[in-house]
Amino acid sequence: MSGQILEAVSIYLTPNIPIEPISQGAEAVVFTTSVHPYEPKQESSETSNKYILKYRPPKKYRHPSIDKALTKHRTLSESRILAKLSQLPGLNVPKLIACDVYNGCIWIEFLGEELPNGNGFSSLKNFLWMSASDPHNKCVETVLEKVGRQIGLLHWNEYCHGDLTTSNVVLQQSDGVWEPYLIDFGLGSATTFVEDKGVDLYVLERAVDSTHSRYAVTYNEWLMRGYKAVYHEQSKKGENRLREVLKRFEEVRLRGRKRSMIG
Amino acid sequence: MVNLNKVPPRHRKQYYLALGLEGSANKLGVGIIKHPLLPQHADSDLSHHCELQILANIRDTYVTPPGEGFLPRDTARHHRNWAVRLVKKALQEAGIKDPTDLDTICFTQGPGMGAPLHSVVVMARTLSLLWDVPLVGVNHCVGHIEMGREITKAENPVVLYVSGGNTQVIAYSENRYRIFGETLDIAIGNCLDRFARTLKIPNEPSPGYNIEQLALKCTNKDQLVELPYTVKGMDLSMSGILGYVDSLAKDLFNKNTKNKLLFDPQTGQQLVTVADLCYSLQENLFAMLVEITERAMAHVNSNQVLIVGGVGCNVRLQEMMASMCRDRSNGQVHATDERFCIDNGVMIAQAGLLQYRMGDAVQDIADTVVTQKFRTDEVYVAWRE
Repeated sequence: MSGQILEAVSIYLTPNIPIEPISQGAEAVVFTTSVHPYEPKQESSETSNKYILKYRPPKKYRHPSIDKALTKHRTLSESRILAKLSQLPGLNVPKLIACDVYNGCIWIEFLGEELPNGNGFSSLKNFLWMSASDPHNKCVETVLEKVGRQIGLLHWNEYCHGDLTTSNVVLQQSDGVWEPYLIDFGLGSATTFVEDKGVDLYVLERAVDSTHSRYAVTYNEWLMRGYKAVYHEQSKKGENRLREVLKRFEEVRLRGRKRSMIG
Repeated sequence: MVNLNKVPPRHRKQYYLALGLEGSANKLGVGIIKHPLLPQHADSDLSHHCELQILANIRDTYVTPPGEGFLPRDTARHHRNWAVRLVKKALQEAGIKDPTDLDTICFTQGPGMGAPLHSVVVMARTLSLLWDVPLVGVNHCVGHIEMGREITKAENPVVLYVSGGNTQVIAYSENRYRIFGETLDIAIGNCLDRFARTLKIPNEPSPGYNIEQLALKCTNKDQLVELPYTVKGMDLSMSGILGYVDSLAKDLFNKNTKNKLLFDPQTGQQLVTVADLCYSLQENLFAMLVEITERAMAHVNSNQVLIVGGVGCNVRLQEMMASMCRDRSNGQVHATDERFCIDNGVMIAQAGLLQYRMGDAVQDIADTVVTQKFRTDEVYVAWRE
């Protein structure tokens, strides 16, 4: 990450907000911070609070007016989708705390923890890698089914994630049970198209294939079991819609998302 | 490790000679190149360090009058008319007295326009039979990539391939040039060319170049004309932008004062010029290109970009790409100039010779059929690790 971006963030946030960078994508930089944007500082609390700060730095290569419009549009749509999703019963997404769409900054709840035995942060990817020695563990199966259910719920409510990978699912323990949370809705959208859902499932399948190739078939099976369960619970209407989605998923897989090229 | 010397040069020479014939669009290119036979190529990964020598690089472009594009039939006729003359001139320039000295004759097998491809492959087959030299069929896109790698010495870059017929973001992985993002409808060069036709600006030297020059004349750079921005994940779409900017240009020419974007509703004064439109179109399209390139870079964890293809000559695009790279750690941008960016015979010779040195020459003349559809990731890249 270049120093200029870091400098730009700290000027925007002022020195009162300490930040710790965790990752840089193509579009946004993600930090953790201990400061809540509007709640008073809790001096006495023993547990140090942690929040996620996602910042879309201005891109110097594009014209300022394009940049402003894009940053605003994307930050706003991500915040909106997070706000809407957190109201849906049963769906686990991080809570939105604050957003400044003009400066491309959103503040969200911090999720996840460190995995035991130094296996890193508790993303689904690291969790599956940690469990690779014992892949047919009942625990892995239930976690993947739960992830499938989350995606099913998302689709059932006519939303799409747009970038489903195993690193975009974070696990958190509650009462000794791992609960999956979907994160990063930067490419997410509200959509009624079957196509988008088919592509979503295909992207996930490809991601599992490439990052966990050895057990990809079983993993995908478990994921899909959870996914289907959501639709099965919705009686006849659910069955019909599930059939449509699966048919389209099959089609998307056949064409490999890419059309044949002419010229 | 890759052995690039698998097939020794013919006639006990200490070097390889290749003739490249390119004619997938409106340019007919003939190039002759030489690779020395070096021991280090036998056991390394140096396909971008062939110590290439360019003996001849000539090109003839079929130029149409302003407002018109090139039709396959007429372009094919142009290629047929010029093929023999260009090959003769190239051999003379390269100082090759005996053409049977050539190791291989390379031709574009696709993708491209059918009729022009056909006229060039007929030329290639004739020469091959006449001089008894093996043929190699080359994918046009791979030609661009290999040329760019050899000229810039970029080892493993993310490639942005932008031309009249193609818009792709490509990265190498496991012996294939894989396409990470591409256009869903028309190519960027096509978009610029067609806008140039609407504006009725000359096609000489190239429509895109003339748009670039017009964009430089834009005096009102702060006030951008707003155009659709259509990036979809790692793909993009440009037909809608073209349709919209075309309609704006038509309103401008017809003095349609009802259009509030172009004319002041009170006074009827013109607010936007043709140069402003060109500038806005370029800024918008190139921002989209740079964005998908950056996405691909983040995805494959690379910090080098190589821009190839005709639109890659555009200085503004190179500038924007460089600016994006500065914000990434150790970012580097590689680009070439019009000699190698625009379609040419040398690039076909370069990719073809690499293919030949790996032992992949045409065995049966029936395998030289050209095709309009030929995806970049169909080619097995044997010459890289």
